[in-house]
Amino acid sequence: MTSGLCADVSQPRLVSICQDAIAWERGAHGPSLQQETIAFPLASPTLGARPRQPAEQIMPPRARPAPDTLRRARFDRPQASLDFWKLLYVLLKQIHGGRWTESDAIGAQVGFVKWALWYHGYGRPQLQRLPADGSAGSRELLLAFSWLLHSPGLLEQLLARNRVQTGDETSVCTCEDDLPESQEGTSEAGPEDRVDVRYLQWLNGRLRLQWCSLHAQHQEQCKLLHKIHLFTSGSHMDQNLGHFSVTETDLIRQPENYKQLLQLLESETTQLEAFLEWKQLEPVYWQWMETVLDDMAEEGNMCESQDAHVEKRRLPEVTSCCPWADKLAGQMDRLSRDLLALQQQLHQLIAQRKATWWEKVATREELQKDSFSATARKIQGSVGLKLRDLTSLCAPQKNRMHGLCRLVLRSKHPASTTGCGQRVSREAVAAASAAEVIRELQVREASLQRELQQLRQQCRHRLAGIAEGWEGVICISP
Amino acid sequence: MDANSSGGAEGGSAPFHRRRAGPASTSGCGACPGRAAGSSWDAGECGTRAVAAPIPGGPRGAGRPGRWSRSRARGPAGRGRWSGPGAAAPAPSLFVPPRDDEEEERPQPQSGSSAEQEDRPSPKELEELELLNRALEKALKVRKSVLKTPLETRGATGQKWAGEAHAPKKAEEQQVPVSVEDVPECRKVRAGSKKPMLLKKPSPYQLRAPYRTDPDVKKLQRKVPARCVSQGPRTAGKISSKGVTSKEGKSHRTATGASAREVCAAAELQETPGLPESAPNEQQSFSGGDSAAGKNSTVAGKQLLDAGKKSCGFLGESSKKEDTASAWGRSTSPGTGTLQEKGCQLKLPLSYRKAYSRNSRAWERCRLCQTSADAAAARTRFVERIQTTFEFCSPKLTPSPAEIEEELRGLQDVPSHLRQYVEAEPADHSTLQGEYESLLTLEGLQTTVSQCLQKLQLLREALESQLRLCPDCTGDVGSCSPACVPARGQTCDSADMLAVPLLCYSSLQELRDLFALKLQVSMLHQEIALQKVMMAELLPVLEPRPLLEGSAGLFRAIHSQLCEGGRLFPVLVRDELLD
Repeated sequence: MTSGLCADVSQPRLVSICQDAIAWERGAHGPSLQQETIAFPLASPTLGARPRQPAEQIMPPRARPAPDTLRRARFDRPQASLDFWKLLYVLLKQIHGGRWTESDAIGAQVGFVKWALWYHGYGRPQLQRLPADGSAGSRELLLAFSWLLHSPGLLEQLLARNRVQTGDETSVCTCEDDLPESQEGTSEAGPEDRVDVRYLQWLNGRLRLQWCSLHAQHQEQCKLLHKIHLFTSGSHMDQNLGHFSVTETDLIRQPENYKQLLQLLESETTQLEAFLEWKQLEPVYWQWMETVLDDMAEEGNMCESQDAHVEKRRLPEVTSCCPWADKLAGQMDRLSRDLLALQQQLHQLIAQRKATWWEKVATREELQKDSFSATARKIQGSVGLKLRDLTSLCAPQKNRMHGLCRLVLRSKHPASTTGCGQRVSREAVAAASAAEVIRELQVREASLQRELQQLRQQCRHRLAGIAEGWEGVICISP
Repeated sequence: MDANSSGGAEGGSAPFHRRRAGPASTSGCGACPGRAAGSSWDAGECGTRAVAAPIPGGPRGAGRPGRWSRSRARGPAGRGRWSGPGAAAPAPSLFVPPRDDEEEERPQPQSGSSAEQEDRPSPKELEELELLNRALEKALKVRKSVLKTPLETRGATGQKWAGEAHAPKKAEEQQVPVSVEDVPECRKVRAGSKKPMLLKKPSPYQLRAPYRTDPDVKKLQRKVPARCVSQGPRTAGKISSKGVTSKEGKSHRTATGASAREVCAAAELQETPGLPESAPNEQQSFSGGDSAAGKNSTVAGKQLLDAGKKSCGFLGESSKKEDTASAWGRSTSPGTGTLQEKGCQLKLPLSYRKAYSRNSRAWERCRLCQTSADAAAARTRFVERIQTTFEFCSPKLTPSPAEIEEELRGLQDVPSHLRQYVEAEPADHSTLQGEYESLLTLEGLQTTVSQCLQKLQLLREALESQLRLCPDCTGDVGSCSPACVPARGQTCDSADMLAVPLLCYSSLQELRDLFALKLQVSMLHQEIALQKVMMAELLPVLEPRPLLEGSAGLFRAIHSQLCEGGRLFPVLVRDELLD
């Protein structure tokens, strides 16, 4: 966690740092629990000394948690609080994928941890009221940390997120684009005050060009990826994959360049073993945490007078707390606009259809009366089927995927293309199919396209209004 | 009529001046993006000019390397002109045209992923390409005659540009003046690599060798196209596309380190197989990077000699190793042969295999590892106890912000889906049954819409109540924008998270569609964000003022930017009748 982190950190370094953070965090409760004299076997080197070794290399001495941080936290010692804030900051930042350094201002660290805990639904008011200088609240933080271990699955997320990549990874979720957008918002102030509109046009053209060349490069990359996958199919020892990735292909050519990768794999294996170990020892931890809660209950700290804080915190109307909330509210607005427009359209359409329907029925009344009820039932059935997709579409998608996936070429055998055919029993791999992702992306594209068109339409109205105000000039839109 | 009515030309050429005058880092071709913004014909002109330049084998060029035959035109552009480090855009002008056609065409491949023909251009496609190019040429002619002025104003740069277009014809000699330092090295390398050249397929060797050291890569690639242009455009195109890959690799490398290297390395590994038979679009599409590589050439020039030696050395080495050198024909190249033929027998190094299988076994064990019953019980007790002290005592009823966000994400495309259904309903039914079915469907859709609205309302309320508890983030804007955090409910088991995430694709076309769509989506995101900013910034500029002399141009520019994405311009007509 040296200063290099804030700028462009190369991927492997980041990965190793993250892993060390996990190691750090894991190393943290091993010894401390031992000091609590809870039977906490430390037979394995992974929980004890070994993972801490890289951590020591990377972490400045100040940030390394003392072994008895947890014990101190149990008794709410202020000495432990700073360490705990930092720990949570580091872990949560990793999950949220933001940039961070060890030297970030403590106020910002505290702020972020509070925000992230709120975001994940940790609603303990005592935590939110901790002082911003990080000087107190180690026990509250211990509770929060424990809650994070369970509810969002902190460790699992960290492991999954920092997975060493040996394949050709590509992202599968559509939420990746939030990041550049938000960055854009912050850096809008241009260098010059007055800008020639032609400069803007030029920039716009340049942007298009970059997109274009990016597209070209993507396409080329696809071609190359596909070739590698195709030509090496059957070579990989992992039957689920079947073929090499780009990295692996190059690894054959230049094994000497991949020492670091091997190390990363090894250390990840160590992490995973530590995770397994943790799973074994988990009961001890949770029982211990219960005793922490018991202590608190005895002290009467568990729930404090609710009224006080309710009054303090329930301010009349919170307009906006952060850009995240603004963004979300904006999305909601747009969505409800869309839906309302659609509703209106449907309303009209249905009214119209009904009218014609009654007309038709009236003219053919005698003809249809008897037989139609049977067909009507059949039709209802089929429509019901048709609409079933629809309702599932509006239901929350449980397995919406996020993050990176390894691209795998599977030949077109019907069972394997779906990704959840026969193989599942053995591998139980969360294999999304490209076709599925493509479909999702197409829909996404369509709605974005519509949003853009709406914005442009809005502009057209405004500009037409302006042009109307001119005398003697007619504006003809293209 | 006002002079303004001259269509897109004015808008198109104007930025050009600005560019030249301004301190922008690039020169020459860089003007073209602006022109592209003006109108698509400008773009076409750009491309066809390059094609029309006296390159040997011109007619073939019209059909083969793609609509705009960028690969050839790019050569000169890359030659030492892009020496500025700030020139991030690879040879803009040459890239403009594809942008346009891409826009029109992209939806098609996306919708029909079954279209496999991309891999190999059908004769029909080629024919279309040729037609298109001819049309563009014609358009150029027409345009020239109509718009003498803008072309003339292009002045020095235009000439220079044209001069460059000639460059390939004269091949090496021409190259000499462009970047002086290159010359000697270039010669030397040439001498060194004579042999493979005679074999007609020098590229694989040369390219494979140097990618260990970046500068070498650049140098070689830079040099190779120059040489090969004289031989024949085809080779040139091939080689330059290589240059691109490595360039691409390079840029990645700076950003992501090792993973970048993969791309680069891999690209070189198997690039050769594809190229001879690959579709023209690909070659062309990739060629852009070459100029970027060329940009680096001046810097790297000094090391060229070294590189040359190295590559020669490697050549010998590799030909020994692969033993196929003598058999090289036009259609097969050894590099490809290697991966294609031996790909199936390749074995990963033992150390890696060991590490990998240990690693994947560990993942598997973690995935299958169950929380023990007493741990789960203790954990649940703890969590429940602590959640009773939350402000929302039952977190299940009030979703967390993360869950709200995720649910909203699930809803965001519902209107699009529903619209598809609505549009799919035919307006007219011949049968009564059809009419009935359609009516029922529409009613079903309406119900769905209201359900979604309800759900949205719930989410909105949940968000509001959550926001009341939101800690105020103190000004630090960036700090609280979660990037794609999967919201996992309490029920989620770790198995999901720890499974190997795989994305299976079944064909090249599918892969291409996937990447194209992903880019398209992120482009749209960006475009929307830009549109919003521009609306906020540009609309107020126009609002208050009456039409003054000169503000007509501004109006047109802004109109085009805001309403047409910079592609079309409105026409302002002075209504003479009033006078």
